[in-house]
Formats: sequence, structure tokens, C-alpha cells
Amino acid sequence: SFFTTSPRHPGVHLLETVSPALTPLPSAPLQDIRNTVGNIPMEWYQDFPHIGYNLEGKKIYKPIRNKDELDMFLEKMENPDYWRTVQDKMTGADIKLTDEQVDLVHRLQKGQFGDVHFNPYEPAVDFFTHEVMIHPVTNRPADKRSFIPSLIEKEKVSKLVHAIKMGWIKPRKPKDDTPTYYDLWAHEDPNSILGRHKMHVPAPKMKLPGHEESYNPPPEYLLSEEEKLAWEQQEPAERKLNFVPQQYRCLRAVPAYSRFIHERFERCLDLYLCPRQRKMRVNVDPEDLIPKLPKPRDLQPFPTTQALVYRGHTSLVRCLSISPSGQWLVSGSDDCTVRFWEVCTARCMKTLPVGGVVKSVAWNPNPTICLVAICVDQSVLLVNPCLGDKLLYGATDQLLESYVAPEEERVQPVQWVTATMEEHSKGVRLVVQHSKAVKQVTWHGKGDYFASVVSDNSNMQVLIHQTSKRWSQNPFRKSKGLVQCVLFHPIRPYFFVATQRYVRVYNLLKQELTKKLMTNCKWVSSMAIHPGGDNIICGSYDSKLAWFDLDLSTRPYQLLRHHKKALRSVAFHKHYPLFASGSDDGTVIVCHGMVYNDLLQNPLLVPVKVLKGHAMTLDLGVLDVLFHPTQPWVFSSGADGTIRLYT
Amino acid sequence: SVPAASETTDLSHLINKLLAAGHADHKYVEFDFLINGQFLRMPLVTHMEMENISTEEVVEIEYVEKYMAPQPEECIFHDDWISSVQATEEWILTGCYDQTARIWSLEGKSIMTIAGHTEVVKDVAWVKQDSLSCLLLSASMDQTVLLWEWNVEKNKVKALHCCRGHAGSVDSIAVDCTRTKFCSGSWDKMLKIWSAVPTDEEDEMEEAANRPRKKQKTEQLGLTRTPLATLSGHTEAVSSVLWSDTEEICSASWDHTIKLWDAETGDLKSTLTGNKVFNSVSYSPLCRRLASGSTDRHIRLWDPRSKDGSLVLLSLTSHTGWVTSVKWSPTHEHQLISGSLDNIVKLWDTRSCKAPLYDLAAHEDKVLCVDWTEAGLLLSGGADNKLYCYRYPATASDVGA
Repeated sequence: SFFTTSPRHPGVHLLETVSPALTPLPSAPLQDIRNTVGNIPMEWYQDFPHIGYNLEGKKIYKPIRNKDELDMFLEKMENPDYWRTVQDKMTGADIKLTDEQVDLVHRLQKGQFGDVHFNPYEPAVDFFTHEVMIHPVTNRPADKRSFIPSLIEKEKVSKLVHAIKMGWIKPRKPKDDTPTYYDLWAHEDPNSILGRHKMHVPAPKMKLPGHEESYNPPPEYLLSEEEKLAWEQQEPAERKLNFVPQQYRCLRAVPAYSRFIHERFERCLDLYLCPRQRKMRVNVDPEDLIPKLPKPRDLQPFPTTQALVYRGHTSLVRCLSISPSGQWLVSGSDDCTVRFWEVCTARCMKTLPVGGVVKSVAWNPNPTICLVAICVDQSVLLVNPCLGDKLLYGATDQLLESYVAPEEERVQPVQWVTATMEEHSKGVRLVVQHSKAVKQVTWHGKGDYFASVVSDNSNMQVLIHQTSKRWSQNPFRKSKGLVQCVLFHPIRPYFFVATQRYVRVYNLLKQELTKKLMTNCKWVSSMAIHPGGDNIICGSYDSKLAWFDLDLSTRPYQLLRHHKKALRSVAFHKHYPLFASGSDDGTVIVCHGMVYNDLLQNPLLVPVKVLKGHAMTLDLGVLDVLFHPTQPWVFSSGADGTIRLYT
Repeated sequence: SVPAASETTDLSHLINKLLAAGHADHKYVEFDFLINGQFLRMPLVTHMEMENISTEEVVEIEYVEKYMAPQPEECIFHDDWISSVQATEEWILTGCYDQTARIWSLEGKSIMTIAGHTEVVKDVAWVKQDSLSCLLLSASMDQTVLLWEWNVEKNKVKALHCCRGHAGSVDSIAVDCTRTKFCSGSWDKMLKIWSAVPTDEEDEMEEAANRPRKKQKTEQLGLTRTPLATLSGHTEAVSSVLWSDTEEICSASWDHTIKLWDAETGDLKSTLTGNKVFNSVSYSPLCRRLASGSTDRHIRLWDPRSKDGSLVLLSLTSHTGWVTSVKWSPTHEHQLISGSLDNIVKLWDTRSCKAPLYDLAAHEDKVLCVDWTEAGLLLSGGADNKLYCYRYPATASDVGA
């Protein structure tokens, strides 16, 4: 290494030499007016008459400045030494600079050294050379410590070793050499621009011209006469080539292509109409779209096998009804009889010839009354079957006999006739004679009122009768279509009237139409109401079964098309979540129909069993279905003259 | 060791040979074989596979003399469906749908026709038998049970008591073992206990004044009797009752339960719950089991003493229709017969629950009632108006192996 020495700056020397020359003025030995305030800002004395203190402690008074601006100006103009006069701030006296002092100022202004005699460019003397010498500068031998191991280092190393042993210092992990990659497209949005690039569909390309397009095609590409004829007869869309290959002598002889504009237009159309985005097709397994239904095995009990056959009728059995206790069954048939059966043994207990085709039977749902309404021709017979509890049917007879006719005769649409003695012995108690044929009768849940449907086109189609008062009335003023069947609501004062395509719900108390249900069927055949009263099912001749949730909508909640032929009858079970439908195809289909108390949960409809057994007769199968009131058993009556019980 | 493929006939030959070697005067006997209490009905190897018995094990095969088939004896023609039958050593009592009960001799001779009910007779029962006079009961759909005295010598029958109180058809009656009480089960869900002892006094009917006409009718038929006790608890019709002990009544009902009652206090002791309507129930004091026939194809065996309620010990399945009637053998602890709507009466051994011992397919219509007497007579009546009798010489002696 080497050092260079720079010349000493002469400024310090200058100040030392100059400042004593500045302060002592020529009159200084006479009057030393040196100020003793020290190095303080002189503004502090601005407002005082003195400017500090001299060596004796006397105030140094500021010189009297009585010159005004004009005097100042005149002095500036007249005094030749004005430019070299400065004011001493410490004493306030004017000092006139000497020539030497002016010179010094000039030199300093020029950036020269204050000392005239100082030479800044003296030659430099090198004490140490920059070159490395072969001999050392000093001949001192090397220290001993440079030969022996360092104790300090040893101590440091032992500390490190200890720290490593104690596990305070972890050895460095080996460097993982595998490079890390980043999947830039891992979380890419398929709708982003990049995604769209992925979905890129290239524009359809035109077929490259082949030999046919050549102006001078090889002869095998040229069409023969027959081919040309065939080409002309083909539809333009069916042609394999849309032009006829032609041969020209040379390229110059090729005329302008007449279809050029046309083909360009078609090409543009192709490009324009070509789909540029792949259609996102949802890949759905069709099995997943089928709603998950519970297995029928888990929905037991429901009827599964035929248990009993009730034989005795000689013609088709149109209608069925069961006593509220479930002990007796009544059936009406085309052989002009009504039969009463014991349910558990299929024993025919009674046969009642009624002298006409029985269209409908209905057992009074009131368990304290033993009465059956039977539709025969133009009348409704009220029959006491005299089955079951003696007290009960005796009380029923007493109830019917206790009727007292009102004083004034009222005009009624029907005639109430008490049965003759002969009829009475057979069980008939009352005959309600209608003007036209009656096709259906149904009881109200309390067992006093019943409704009958008459085959008529007028407003007299539906009549409501009161048994205890022997009073009938016609609830409707206008006919709304051919009434198929009617039904009372089990709890509320509603009345359901099914015409061919609609079911109308009337409020009997307010006497108004509450709802009109669109069945979506062509011809309703039958109707049944859920015992809860909020759901009804309609069977139709176009082999559909419509389930209505009255709270939900006036349209069917579900349309079940399980039957192959027209439905004749539908029924609900009183306690179990079951409903059944009988059809012309000879089968009864039992479905699980769970209605939940929770209004948010929709009913669960699961077909659970197809019951077969009835023989087809006259293209008719099952005519009526009916559930046992307490057991999960279903009865069906068929055109083959039998009634079957499935359990 | 025997060949694995051997069937009962092969085993039977083998036993016979061994027995003939022992006794010179041995006659050929057909045997049936039991493995762990199960009848062998197929080749040995398949049976062992079915029962998961390893072929390495030593299997004990028990042999018993083969039960002979019941021999048909009589066919008694009735005028109408036979609803019930009960036989003693000398006579057969049947209830008929023509509103009568009939007494027949064992040879099928009509001895007596008891008419008096105004409706179908649903059940009959013997109360007491003497050489001179017999007491018997008939229950009917007309809601009454009539207690009759039948003078055997004069062959005259007299209605002693008319038991009134049920509000529905009386479907089942059962006489207790002391022969002084009987119980009736009715469609009106009630069980009533009555005295079966004839007296000269008439019980007061509570509502006699309301129904003078009805009372007139009953006066002709005997003295009115009212129930000693009424047991209510069933929610559906009672289809069958029996006394399972001196003071215990067992009733089967359409509400899918069998209930056991204390006859003394009228308390419900326990309930066995099934999942089908019960048509019939029978109790065997020999094996202390209840057998029930219900509206499916199965005969189920129950332990009436089990407290957990619904334990089916065994299901006997071979019928194809409702089982209308079951009856345990009075002498054999494993055997019972059952009648079904599939027109067949089956003879069962509980040790072979998969197949019955014998099918008695004589009826042409529904079988409604069966009975088994101590003398080994099987009776079955049905909707074909015929009562069939079979002689069944049950071999009670089990030969050990």
C-alpha cells in the first residue's frame, strides 16, 4: 500500500495572519475600543444606544448616525474611497480598507490563495513506493502466534460444536435441485379469453380443388353422356359435384365462371352460420333424473295377494260399499240384485232383488246408523240390511219411523215414498223417486245428507237429500256440464262436483264456487277424497289418474298413467296412506300416497302393487275398488261377476 | 358312518337291518329321522349344508317311527257352510251357517239338530258330558250365546240360558278347564266371561224395558244371562279366544294382537303384537306354545310367557291362503293341524317347519274350522258343506338313537 500526501491548505494560515491586521485600526494604540461581547449576533443590541462593552467595561456607544439618504447619496457620489469603506459591525465604525486588504479580497474572490508567496504546485516527494519490494520494509521476524493454533478460534469452534450437538444449530438442508413449476392455468376461468381459445372451433375449410376442377382434367374425370344426364336429373343438393368437369384446350380458353358470385355467397354464408362455440352439453345420467322413490317393501302394509273371491253375482258387479265397521260388504250388480257379504268368509248373507240394474250403492258412513243407499233406475232405495248390532239397526228403523211430515206440503224435485209392506220385509225402508235415472249416490260423513246424480242435461243433475227430514233440494241453478260424480268433503262443508273435464268445489255454507280444478283429462270417471280432505284423486276414461293437492294448485300435482285402459274407479284408504285404482284392463293398482302434515312437503306417491285376478268380460275389467275401513285390504268388483279381496 | 347322499328311505333300510339282526321277530318299520330336532326331508348332505353342519362333525341322527298318514274315515254332509266343530270321544258338535248346531255320532250319523239362533252359528263348544245329559254352547252372529242341555237318552235338547250382552256377532267361545265358566269373543271388540253353570234364575237385563219385542223372543229360548265380567282392550274384532290356563284367557284379534288376560281380575297381562289380522289361535299345554293363524300364509308359534311382546318363535309356511283355523294336537307336543282358505288342511310337525307332514286336500272350498280330539281324530269343516274326519294314529313313543 502507499500513501500520498496532499499540500496543507493555506486558508488557516491566512486567517491567522490577516485578522489581526484587520481589527487593529491605525488609531487603535490610542483608543482601544475592542468590544468584549464575544461572538454573539449583533442584532441583540439593535434597540440599545450602545453596542457592547470595551475592556474597561464601559459601554461602547454606537456612532451617531445623523446622515440621511441624501447625505448617503452625496457621500457615495463625492467620496472616492466610498467603495473601500466598510462598517465594523462590532463597533459600528466605518473602516477604510487599505490597498493590501483590497488585494487580498480580490485574490480570495478569484479563488486564489491569500498568501502571495504560496506555491500550490510544488513537486511531491514519495515516501513509500507503490511497487512491492522483494525485501521487507522491516526485518522483524514473524510472531509465534502466527504458527500456533488460535485459542480464541478453538473456543469459538468448540462453542459451535456444542451448539450443533445440542441441536441449537441445524445443519443446512440439502438444496433441492428440482426446479419448481407453476401451473398458470390451473384455476383458469373457462369463460375467460384463454378459455375461449380452448373452445376454439376453426372455420370450416373449403375442399381443395381436385382433378375435376382442372381446365384439362384427365379423361376419367370427365362425365360421360349418361352421367351428365343423371347429373342433370339429380336435385342440386344431392349432386356429388356442383359443376360438370369440362376440358379446354388451354387456360386462356377457360371462360369466366358463371357461378362465382353464387359460390362466394354460399361460402360467406357457411362461415357466418358456422357455430363458433362448442355447445356445452350437460352430461346427465338419465337414471339420475328419475326421482328417488322408496322401495315398495319399505312401504308395507299394502294388499299383495288375492285372499277371497266373493262369488254369487251372475252379471257384472258395478258398485261396492262397506259397512263402517268393516264386517259387511254390499255390492250392486247388473243381475238386478244387491248382495250383502260377510267380509272375512266371503259368505253371501243376503240377496236383495231390486228389479233393475244397480248403478251405485253407498253404506251410511255413520257407525250408529245401519242404512244403505242403492241406486236403481230412477230411484234411490234406502235399505236397512239388518246386519250387525241389533240395537243399531233397530235404532235406525226407529229413526226413520220417527219422521213427522210437515204441515204444509213443500215442492220437492223428488218424491219420498215409504216402502210397502212387501218391500219393508226385504229391508227397503224409503224410496226416493227421481224423474230420471240416477247414476250415483254418496253420503255425507255425518250420515244424514246424501247426494244423488241424475243422468240429465239440465240443472237438475245433482240433488242433495236429507234423510231425517225427507227433504231434497237442488243446489245448482245452472248446468255446468255433464256431471260424472259428486262427493262430500269429509270434514268441511265442501261439495265436489266432477264434470267431464273439471272438478268444481263448492262451499255449501256460503253457497259459492270455491275452486275449479283442471283435471287435464278428457273424461273424468271417478273421484275420491283423502280422509284429511286436502287431496283428491280423479280417475279418467283416458287411463289417467290425477292427484290434486287442493292447497297447492288447481292443476294436478301428479298425473299417473299406470293403467293401460280406462279407469273406472279410484279409492282412498281411511287410515293407511294407500289409494287404489281399478281399470278396464282388469287390474287394480295400489299406490302409496303419503300426505304429510308439514305443508312444505309434497305428497309422496309410489305405485306399490298391481293386483290381477279379474277375468276380462265384454272388454271390461274392474268396475269398482274399495278399501277396507280398518285393514290394509282392497276389494275390487269386476265385470266377471266376482268381487275379490286382496290382502 | 353312512353315505352322505343317503335319504330317509336308505337310512330306514339300514335301521331295519340292524334291528332285524337284534330281534329275530322284527317286522319292517318305516322311520323318520331327526337331526338336532329337525326332520330330515332331503339327502343328508343337502340337509347338512342347509343347517350349516360341518361334514367333519359327528352328527347324531335320531330316528322315530314314521307317522302314518291320517286315514279318511267319514264325510258328513251339512246343509250349509260349517263354521265350527268340536268333537268329544263320542260325538261331534258342529256349528253351521244354516243357523243350527248339529250333533253327530263319530260314525257320521246325525243325532240332533239344535235350532234356535236367528243368525249364523259361529262357534260351538261342549261344556259337560255325562252319560245322561250334556251341556253345550253355541255362539251366533245374532249376538247371543246359547247354553243348551242335551238329554242323551231322550235325545231332546233344551235351551237353558241365553247369554246376552254382546253388541256384535259372537265369533268365538271357550270353556275353561273347570267347566264352570266360559269366555266369548265378539266382533264388538269385547271379551266376556260368563258362568256355564245352569241355574233357574234369570239375570236382569238392564235395558229390558226398551226392547219388549226382543225379550219375548228370548223368553222362548231360555233364561237370560248376563256376563260375569267384560274384558275390553282390543281395538278391533276379537276372532278367537281360549283358556291357556285356569285363570288365563288368550284372545286373538283383528287389531294384529294376541292378548293374555287374567280371568280373575280382568287385567291385561301381556300383548303379543303381529303385523297381520289373526284369525285363529291355539294353545298347547304340552309345549306351552301358542299357534296363530293369520290373514297371510303363515302359522306362527309364540311363547305366551315372553315379556318382550312380539317374538315369533317359528313360522310354518306352506299354505297359499289365509290360515283360518289352527289346532294343536292334544297328545303330541310337536304336532298341529291348520285349515286354510286354499282348501287344504295341513298336518304339521314343528320339527319340520318348511314342509308339513301331510296335506289333507279333500275340501273343495274354503276350510273354516279344524279340530283334533284326544282319540286321534282330525276334523275339518268348510264352505263346501262337508265335515271330513280322519283317523290319525299318532305314535307318541319316540325311539331314541
